[in-house]
Amino acid sequence: MQRLFFLLAILPFFISCKSDVVYEEYPVLYQNGDSILWANKNYDDSAWATRQTSSADSVFWIRTRIKILENPAAMPGVQVNAFGAFEIYWDGVFIGTNGKVSDKNTPEIPGTEITYFSLPDSLSRAGMHVVSFRASQSYLTKEQRGIYVKMDLYKDLLTQPLIITSLMNLMSGAFLIASLYYFFLYFNSSKRQWTTLIFAMICLLFFALLILEFIKFYIDIPYTQFFIRLEAIGILTMIIAVLVPFYFTIQFNFKRKKVLLGILSISLIAIYVFNYRHYDYSAQLYSICMLISSTMVVLTAIRQKEKGAVLVLAGLLCSIVVNKYLVYDFGLFIGFTIIVLCMLYLHTIRSRVIEDEYHSSMLLSSRLQLELVKKNIQPHFLKNTLTSLIDWVEESPKEGAKFIHALAAEFDIMNTISEAVLIPVRQEIELCKVHLTVMQFRKEINYQWEEFGIDEAEFIPPALIHTILENGITHSIPIADCGIRFSLRFVKTNIYRQYTFETIAENRIPSRHGKGGTGFRYIQARLSESYGDNWEFSSEASPTGWLSTIKLYYK
Amino acid sequence: MRVLIIEDEARIANRLERITRSFFEENLSVLVICDSLQKGIDYIENQPIDLLLLDLNLNGQNGFNLLESVVAGSFHTIIVSAYTDKAITAFTYGVLDFVPKPFDQARLEMAFKRISIPTKGVERNIKFLAVKKAGTVRLIDISELHYIKGAGIYSELHLQNGKQELHDKSLEKLQQLLPDTFERIHKSYLISLAQAERILIQPGGRYGLLLKTGEILPVGRSRYKDLKDKMI
Repeated sequence: MQRLFFLLAILPFFISCKSDVVYEEYPVLYQNGDSILWANKNYDDSAWATRQTSSADSVFWIRTRIKILENPAAMPGVQVNAFGAFEIYWDGVFIGTNGKVSDKNTPEIPGTEITYFSLPDSLSRAGMHVVSFRASQSYLTKEQRGIYVKMDLYKDLLTQPLIITSLMNLMSGAFLIASLYYFFLYFNSSKRQWTTLIFAMICLLFFALLILEFIKFYIDIPYTQFFIRLEAIGILTMIIAVLVPFYFTIQFNFKRKKVLLGILSISLIAIYVFNYRHYDYSAQLYSICMLISSTMVVLTAIRQKEKGAVLVLAGLLCSIVVNKYLVYDFGLFIGFTIIVLCMLYLHTIRSRVIEDEYHSSMLLSSRLQLELVKKNIQPHFLKNTLTSLIDWVEESPKEGAKFIHALAAEFDIMNTISEAVLIPVRQEIELCKVHLTVMQFRKEINYQWEEFGIDEAEFIPPALIHTILENGITHSIPIADCGIRFSLRFVKTNIYRQYTFETIAENRIPSRHGKGGTGFRYIQARLSESYGDNWEFSSEASPTGWLSTIKLYYK
Repeated sequence: MRVLIIEDEARIANRLERITRSFFEENLSVLVICDSLQKGIDYIENQPIDLLLLDLNLNGQNGFNLLESVVAGSFHTIIVSAYTDKAITAFTYGVLDFVPKPFDQARLEMAFKRISIPTKGVERNIKFLAVKKAGTVRLIDISELHYIKGAGIYSELHLQNGKQELHDKSLEKLQQLLPDTFERIHKSYLISLAQAERILIQPGGRYGLLLKTGEILPVGRSRYKDLKDKMI
């Protein structure tokens, strides 16, 4: 963030950088044909055209005047932006070439779009000067872009791009590192998150965009390849303009993702088609589209009270302002940088949320473990069991010993499963059966257990059926002569697995079978722990007693 | 002696029954076991009892909600429960004893003995007397008690604010529940010693107790010496 402020603070200096050479510009004039006399300072060019009309093979000349108002403080230079190859003359004196102008026998060697030439003191005193070019444009002949001449101190002409490039490279380096970091994070994460990958991609694309934009300052690109770079920049900008709102839609749970992204993509393509080759303008429009759609997503997020939405909105507004009031080259990138920083901040917020969720799930798991362990030491179970046990031991020591064994068996199973999240269904059934034996000694009720279609390979959370069984024992009155019958059924389909557990007995009134008992909360928490949202649990009175159903869906 | 046992665990209920029968022997006229709170309450409403043995946690229902109405009854209540942490609260409501599970014969018999022999030195934490009034139960803080007057099988609670309430328990039963600061000064009067001003000797060799409010209550001849020792 600090770097950004630094950049923001320093950029106006570059943008407001006025030339140190005080001069006046005159119109640029063109003439097809070739004559070395046309380089002359005093040649009368009043009949020359004001627009370039050259053809592929022909050589043409360009002339313009510059009036230097004060003697420059140091060595001045000329910056020329042009397509083609040319030789440049200052007051008729040859001062340099860019590429090689085509000849009758040799084809043109294309020059680069931007060139700098130094001027000796003798040629650059105050007064009127003529700059003339002997030029050819053998390729891209449809691009009659003309020529632009700008003067400044030679040293400044060379160092200004360096300073800008260094700052931009600083920024792009940061994005490269961020991109690599998030890629690694994504590929090494146990819970791979889409947003991480998208964010890494945005950072990478943004890095590429910055590099491509400013590569022009240190690599000489022949004008024939000039558009490749711009085309690439356009495409990168377009992809970023889709990915950024996409990222926000995911982070802010935007509901009409597809509609928004569809409209956005169509408008971006439309912009590309209708403004073909107007690269700067297109990029500007892309970024406007991106800002509008992002703002829409963020505004909805603010209405949904999503965390971090207000900050992102602030960032977007900031970006819009920068985009509007700074020159394109910087405005776009600074705007993007602000947005990416917002995204980074958002990402850390989400990471925090995920971290918290993880901790609370760990906490829940250990709470459930505790709950399970408590089942057998809670006073109601333990003290009543011990009281019955004393009685059995006093009355009938042999039966008492059996009771003790059953109790030991229940404790054993509980001990084995206490730390498990899922246990084999057979183990659960064993637990239920041994619990019934214990309860039979206590309640002296005839309990029966039946099971149908149990798949031995299945796993379920521990003490799930045990809990329903406990409820059944507590809330049921035995049917005369038959006692209480418990029946567990298992059904498996392509969509789900289902356990139905029926207590066949008379229900006690008032029965507290309804939702919200601690037993049910335990069951629901256990199901959520292992199956997320892919489960259903119901428990209700049936004609023959009480029916509980656990449905586990495959994802 | 008519005893009601409310306990949902058959084995424990049988055990309670066995110990109760062996303790009261031929004095036991009725013994009924109910395996749910509702059945127990229905029984209490329709049949007179002298003693209730109550489990606080029955079939997943919390018997504590019923404690207030149970202790307002004319009978003594002994809680037999697994939840020992509830003992103190139970005492504040005025139960005769709290027998924690698991219990043996000796412990339960000790509770039974408190019915017949007023045990001294036993910690009594009673804080309220529950009074049934117009179908609801009202708790009276015992610090509000002025004195209690026996009225046959009932007792009249005379409160410091001058009001009177009728309690279903007899004076004897209340004396068993109330702390030692309550003294029986007469076969019909139980007072809080804090309320006593001084003993008056009235003509005809009768004794009276002047209360701080100026009221004079009769003092039983046999209880005079005891009271005099305590007043000094």
